[in-house]
Amino acid sequence: MRAALQRATRRPRLTAAALLGAAGVILLGQGAWIQAKAVLAQILLERAFAETLATGRDAKPWSWADTWPVARVEAPRLGRSAIVLHGSSGQALAFGPGHVEGTPQPGKPGAAVFSAHRDTHFSFLRELRAGDELRVTRRDGVTLRFRVTDGSVVRFDASGLDPLAGLPRLVLSTCWPFDAKVPGPLRYLLEADLIADSAGTRAGLLIHEDGNGPEPALKT
Amino acid sequence: MHTVPEASGKDRPSRFAFPVQAPRAAAGPHLTLAILLAIAAILALASRTLAAGGEALVRPGEMRAGSLLLRSTEPGAFVEVPRVGTDVDITVSGPTARARITQVFRNPTEGWVEAIYVYPLPEGGAVDSLRIVIGDRVVIGDIKERKEARAIYAEAKAAGRKTTLLEQERPNLFTNSVANIGPGETVLVQIEYQEPVRQSADGFSLRVPLVVAPRYNPKPVLQTVDFAPGGQGWGTAADPVPDRERIEPPVLDPRSSAPTNPVTIAIRLQAGFALGEVRSHHHEVRIEERGADARLIGLAEGPVPADRDFELTWKPAAANAPAVGLFRERVGDADYVLAFVTPPALQQTEDRRPREIVFVIDNSGSMGGTSIVQAKASLLYALGRLKPVDRFNVIRFDHTMDVLFPDAVPADAEHVSRAKVFVDALKAQGGTEMLPSMKAALTDPRESDASFLRQVVFLTDGAIGNEQQLLDTIAAMRGRSRVFMVGIGSAPNSFLMTRAAEIGRGAFTHIGSADQVEERMRKLFEKLESPAVTNLSARFSEGEADVTPAVLPDVYRGEPLVIAARLGSARGYLAINGRIGDRPWTVTLPLTAAAEGKGLSKLWARRKIADAEVARTLRNTTLEEADKAILTLALDHRLVTRLTSLVAVDKTPSRPEGARLTRADLPLNLPAGWEFDKVFGGEKPREPREPRLDRASASRIQVASAPEATVASPALRPSATTATPGVALPATATDSELRMMLGLLLCAASLALAVVGRRRAAA
Repeated sequence: MRAALQRATRRPRLTAAALLGAAGVILLGQGAWIQAKAVLAQILLERAFAETLATGRDAKPWSWADTWPVARVEAPRLGRSAIVLHGSSGQALAFGPGHVEGTPQPGKPGAAVFSAHRDTHFSFLRELRAGDELRVTRRDGVTLRFRVTDGSVVRFDASGLDPLAGLPRLVLSTCWPFDAKVPGPLRYLLEADLIADSAGTRAGLLIHEDGNGPEPALKT
Repeated sequence: MHTVPEASGKDRPSRFAFPVQAPRAAAGPHLTLAILLAIAAILALASRTLAAGGEALVRPGEMRAGSLLLRSTEPGAFVEVPRVGTDVDITVSGPTARARITQVFRNPTEGWVEAIYVYPLPEGGAVDSLRIVIGDRVVIGDIKERKEARAIYAEAKAAGRKTTLLEQERPNLFTNSVANIGPGETVLVQIEYQEPVRQSADGFSLRVPLVVAPRYNPKPVLQTVDFAPGGQGWGTAADPVPDRERIEPPVLDPRSSAPTNPVTIAIRLQAGFALGEVRSHHHEVRIEERGADARLIGLAEGPVPADRDFELTWKPAAANAPAVGLFRERVGDADYVLAFVTPPALQQTEDRRPREIVFVIDNSGSMGGTSIVQAKASLLYALGRLKPVDRFNVIRFDHTMDVLFPDAVPADAEHVSRAKVFVDALKAQGGTEMLPSMKAALTDPRESDASFLRQVVFLTDGAIGNEQQLLDTIAAMRGRSRVFMVGIGSAPNSFLMTRAAEIGRGAFTHIGSADQVEERMRKLFEKLESPAVTNLSARFSEGEADVTPAVLPDVYRGEPLVIAARLGSARGYLAINGRIGDRPWTVTLPLTAAAEGKGLSKLWARRKIADAEVARTLRNTTLEEADKAILTLALDHRLVTRLTSLVAVDKTPSRPEGARLTRADLPLNLPAGWEFDKVFGGEKPREPREPRLDRASASRIQVASAPEATVASPALRPSATTATPGVALPATATDSELRMMLGLLLCAASLALAVVGRRRAAA
């Protein structure tokens, strides 16, 4: 009688264990899939970006993609790089950093903002320090060098970033704090000043060539 | 806990009820953790605040007095350096004044810093010298084109050399950046400028601005649109305040971070004539006689806080001010001449035509306190002066606007009393959207009715950042109206007022305190009622004279006509012709009688630059032509303008970072001629203040888990910044780690369950 009872209680326990296990595996798989997608997509994106550099035309990484690569951002000291996508929709960010809409091209006056997930493409942001170099290769083949100056934490809806003002600079944005496990309203901003482009031109002269830089707007 | 829509909707498996709910349940412990972190952060912040002497984050535009700002880890925000003192030393020689402003600052932090220094200067001032002592180095500024100066500065900054950059933000607002100041080092900044002495019917005056009023910068709702050539019809909308980040950022805590800035003032007055009354309007002074025509003026009770402008007036001993002044200076191969001529007051030529006056009163928040009281008193006085034949209207504005009457009404008793009730009820609040009210005031429904003179009297503190937009509006819409600016309060934006009055062909009056209301408004009304001296022209008999102002303005009663000119050599005579009412008026001045003046060439250049700016506003020249003219003048005369900056780079290599310097290691080497005793006089380094309670409020908690390895420790920007939200940043967190952790947990739980079951079974 005791054995019968045990058998009876053991079966539901086993069922529960199996259910829990299955749910666990599914969750694990989903989490891993997000990571894998981020890594795999970058491989396809590298290919598409190489094509863009070669042909000068935007190339979609896969036929049904709704975005395309626009730049490559590298942190040479950390040996990390990522292909930046056009736009910063959720879909795009699953595959790579996004060039936030309404911010200028890197190297143009103002703040070019790249945004990516803290736990995938921009996990390396926490290791960047003031003085570190960042490299951006634009789709026109120009490579720009930036130097990290500042880090700050802002609310997503109160970044205070005026993208069209100031000298050419790069802002990398990701979620803050890095170790949090749930989404939150805070963003970490890493600012970097333009040092030079591939032609070795100094930052100050770049604006001059542009002609419509930010500072002539100072009116008296 | 704040939840943000997840980045990728399709990553979320809505088919499974269990996994979706699991993260919610898991958020509980995270919330607790976050609260703990927040408390830790408050404590950390409070202790840091104590250590740093109560420094608060500020932005350049909200600085009320000249001050040095240290760039903080938070972009766009700065930590103010405790100020030690300011010394103002001005020598007045006849028609000009040479001012030397020296400020002493100390870097109280443990790190190497870049400092930003914001300073108000008089709008007519020609800034030509910048010297800075950082630690034991003296660096002297060199004039360069603004972009070039910035590039030089950025390069030296990156290379770790000490460097400094002086830039003009507005003709009366400058910023000075100093890079690579070592820990504990003391910094001395010295600026010199030349300015003309103001002259009016009853004497001479000098104003030393000590405060920059925070400015209201309209949000870009009313946009101007720039069409690029060849843009095929596509244009970009321009922000009315393109440099708002430099001059007006979100306000964090202006009152409690407003420092007391002790100022000492010394004025060596050499009037060039026997002096009568010498008076300071807003400060207690002691005046020492140094002969009949010279005085030494100092503050009566030692240093004062820099919370108001300093104003000094002086009169000649003789009953009337001299009607004519003529000065010259030889610089290089040219002579520079400065002439003041006050036309005679002729009573009989009074214009009997009735007037139509539109009064505009600013009741925005910046006018709060005594300013609105003065403005109301001034306007009530003006309403009382109207004659029944006149017509008038009243407009009040903050960020909204009310026009009292649909159209100008006769100034009869009923209308005037209605207007007085309206004015009396005004309260100072809201923003400063000046443009719509100026447009309304300049709208002239009876443009061709010559039986009325049309005048606009505008009472404001001018605390706005979109000056150029307002000037453009006046230039475009002035028609026959004349614009009279009445500057209210202790620190009005006198650049805007002067320029607006110049473009509006009126006059500018400054009312700095309540007891000046009646006197100055009476004088303004004399100007409004008296005819101007019109059709003025100036001619030099010999040599190619380059005269400024290029087009001589009309001159109101009691005001002098001021002319500056550059000549090959000052010989022959200067003839000035004009009309007072319907009578011709001529005066001839022999140039050989001119007395020696100082710094006249700089004043001439400054005035030429203002001419170029006005011509551009009036669309008489293109932007490119104006810029070219300004650049040439500025570089020739070493002046800071919107296109040129002073930049200095320390040639000696800077100390290696890490080699900490304390103040004791660095006895200051003052250059010869610098007098800092007064500046330092008895002033001890400031004691750390108590941390303010609001610093520790939850809205600006620093997140304590800041990774040590990253760039310093970032501070959370306060929620006050929602006023200028900036770029919206996308959500950039996936729940992949959360899912994987939960997945692992569930797997572990299932295993545990299975194992426990088996053990029991085995037992």
